[in-house]
Amino acid sequence: MAKSKGSGERSRTVTNRIRRLRFENDEMTQQQLADAAGVTRQTIIAIEAGKYAPSLTLAFKIAQVFSTPIEGVFQYEAEP
Amino acid sequence: MNKTQKGTLVSLVSALLCIAIAVFLLVEIVVLKHPPESFSEKFWLPIVVCVLGPILTIFYWKKQSPTEVESDERDDLIKKRAALVSFVSVWILLYAATVIPWFIVGLEGSIPVFLLPFINVGILLVVLLIYSVAVLVQYGRGGKDGKK
Repeated sequence: MAKSKGSGERSRTVTNRIRRLRFENDEMTQQQLADAAGVTRQTIIAIEAGKYAPSLTLAFKIAQVFSTPIEGVFQYEAEP
Repeated sequence: MNKTQKGTLVSLVSALLCIAIAVFLLVEIVVLKHPPESFSEKFWLPIVVCVLGPILTIFYWKKQSPTEVESDERDDLIKKRAALVSFVSVWILLYAATVIPWFIVGLEGSIPVFLLPFINVGILLVVLLIYSVAVLVQYGRGGKDGKK
């Protein structure tokens, strides 16, 4: 999960549902999603694994591929 | 493996090869004082370049998908971080290159001027190695490759 921590702030994480959405969209492969979003497959792998938080532009592009609002793909939540 | 990773691997192999060849030639000619005589001794270097060159070129240009992009925002970020690491290493290496001879030959000692370009090229190769390793390490931390 991509983590962010401000001063005196609780640790927060950006989670995503890309894997689930890929499977719901005719078992789309990572390569197909990467081609549609205009990035490399490695970037999709890193985002799915939560190792990389994408830019706003890329996040919107990914959401557009799945025809979902951005909050349907990415969630920003406090760690328990 | 994307284009940035491939390019970095190619530079890593090239830098390692250059360092290996330089060390070998230095030992062969300067230390052992054994200049190349036979055909294989004289031409092994061009042969290695002729064999490795096309292999590395094909490896670099072969795409993983016909619509594969050259690089994206994550690649740029990784390259930027690696450039920062190598920039810092340039200063550390330059400092070491000026201080180490001081300790070896002493305050009043001197080193031949012809060594200076070799030191610069050596630093360049080491910085290229550091840059390549920094890029590959960051890709290695990006999650398990090959997952569907």
